[in-house]
Amino acid sequence: MRYPRAVRTGFAVAMALVLAATACTRQQENGSSSNEDDTITVAFVPKLQGIPYFEAMNTGGQQAAEDLGVEWIYRGATTADPGAQTEIVRSLIQQRVDVLVVAPNDPDSMAPVLADAQEAGIHVMTSDTDAPNSVREVFVNQATAEGIGQALTDALMEAMGGSGEYAIVSCGQTAANLNAWIEVQREYTASQYPEAEIVDVVYAGEDEARAVSMARDLMNAHPNLRGLVGECTSSAPAVARAVSEAGRIGEVFTVGLGTPQSMVPYLEEGSSSAAILWDVEQLGYLTVWAAYQLATGQEFQEVNRVNDQLTEVQYFADQDMLLLGEPLRITAENARNYNY
Amino acid sequence: MATTMTSPARSGAKTRRVTARAVEGQELALAGVLAVLWLVLSLVTDTFLTTSNLQNILFTVAPIALIGIGMTAVIVTAGIDVSVGSSLAVAAVIVAKLLRDAGVNAPTALLVAVGVGAVLGLINGVVVAYGRIHAIIVTFGTLNLFRFISLRIFDSQQVTGVPDTLEFLGGGAAGRTLGVPNAWWLVMAVGALVWLYMRYAPTGRHLYAIGGDATAARLAGVQVERRLVAVYTLTGVLVGLAACISIGGGGLVQQNIGTGLELQVIAAVVIGGTSIIGGRGTVLGTLLGALLVGTVTSAVTLLQWPSELTALFIGIFILIAVGVDLIRERRRRSR
Repeated sequence: MRYPRAVRTGFAVAMALVLAATACTRQQENGSSSNEDDTITVAFVPKLQGIPYFEAMNTGGQQAAEDLGVEWIYRGATTADPGAQTEIVRSLIQQRVDVLVVAPNDPDSMAPVLADAQEAGIHVMTSDTDAPNSVREVFVNQATAEGIGQALTDALMEAMGGSGEYAIVSCGQTAANLNAWIEVQREYTASQYPEAEIVDVVYAGEDEARAVSMARDLMNAHPNLRGLVGECTSSAPAVARAVSEAGRIGEVFTVGLGTPQSMVPYLEEGSSSAAILWDVEQLGYLTVWAAYQLATGQEFQEVNRVNDQLTEVQYFADQDMLLLGEPLRITAENARNYNY
Repeated sequence: MATTMTSPARSGAKTRRVTARAVEGQELALAGVLAVLWLVLSLVTDTFLTTSNLQNILFTVAPIALIGIGMTAVIVTAGIDVSVGSSLAVAAVIVAKLLRDAGVNAPTALLVAVGVGAVLGLINGVVVAYGRIHAIIVTFGTLNLFRFISLRIFDSQQVTGVPDTLEFLGGGAAGRTLGVPNAWWLVMAVGALVWLYMRYAPTGRHLYAIGGDATAARLAGVQVERRLVAVYTLTGVLVGLAACISIGGGGLVQQNIGTGLELQVIAAVVIGGTSIIGGRGTVLGTLLGALLVGTVTSAVTLLQWPSELTALFIGIFILIAVGVDLIRERRRRSR
């Protein structure tokens, strides 16, 4: 009995490895020879496909592609897995697209792949998330850390009346952008709102249920807590839900970085005071516009007019960065204007 | 801890499974750890022993404990089900969409959730039992498959605006009876039933026999396949109920719901003293294991320690639990 079990376990492990290896190589389809004609092909690889955030970027990208007459390819993996993303980028290099845009899951492991793309004569950009140590020609930035951190703090302080204890429910502990925002929130709170205090920062991963539970722990641990910040799109609705379920609407105020649709019920019942985000569809639009400029060899101006809504897009030549603009404050009044 | 667990086994190794004691050694040890932890926490913080904190722990732990009941039965048969997180996503998205778009009532929602969970569990069970493929491979496959199905049903949109039809299972005031979350009452009721079944029913004892040695169990007349299909289906049913708990008061269901849940459940089961190689383990231990994990997670926040310490503590608990189990197994074999 003991011997066959060992054999079976070995077989099982081997099968698991095979399965794991094949699971990542699914995304090879429509390798059309799209590049034979003169149409510019722009490919965008999001961190993962199927979440509302990147689907909204896709919507904006499609609109821009139509306006500018370029072909738009949107292709991502179903998990936020750096390996799977690399596969997809490599397959797009094989297809010889004109411009390759990536929102890298892991900037460091993406850098050499981007170098390969450039070697193959492809223009390389990043959007949404940067790969700073790569050969990318431009980074389309949705907002600066200062912009987000200050907008979150201002929105919360407006609700809390500028004073009191508050806590932050963040997500991945290693997420560089979230940590940069938190740093700004700390400094900005200390300098602008001396009567307010951040009493704790906790990390719930990208797990909404965990974020709800931790938000309640924070309310229990700090009886004087008057505010909660949900730092990412899964913890923003979670902190509002925790306040709502604890029956403390009006005593504990929340703001967060949430997508409009997910925040609507909480904004309307008052458990969330405001959500801070940027116009994701316009981010998609700007991405394609920037790709078009690269492919046609046009220089970025210091201030660019992209379309009717993006009239003053700043370009920072020292960082090769385009900035979408000021963050958007989403409230009960305007949340229903966005369909993502 | 090790001595209290191994000494009874040594004295009565041959009659071990015939004379089942009411509470086993590792359960007592775990209950002791939990009691000491609660005592210390209520002394050093003035926030631990509050109604709202205890309610939060019980509610947070409920879905993990509920699925853990089924997972205990599965692991006792020397199997495993790593697809529970994805199954939960399928059940949750279907129920959430039915609640919102079809406006179904609570009993219908519960029935659908249980039905969907049962079907997914049945698929796992049939392939494991009749395909004679190792459970980790089967359920690793269905983990991906079920996640795909759930994403298809989500259709690139999170489900927002879910009504509060199931709020009696949620984390709000409407979800409590006598101050205890209804979700936790459900855990205790299901836990008691399955505990009794696995302890006293002949077919329940067969689960241990299968986990100890499936071939011998089959020769002894145990209907191995039927039992296996039953435990995976039971797990599926409980996943369906857990999905209703996680929808609770409604609001939002996101695509990543249930991601990583399988590891939390398996952690609770293993910390609860169930042997990962099968043949040993109880539902009571799993509930205690889940409570221990929930207590530690909450305590780290209450004590204002950095969040990452949670992972450290849970890792240590798992290693201790598995280590104790291994030592016990070695001693038994070397005799």
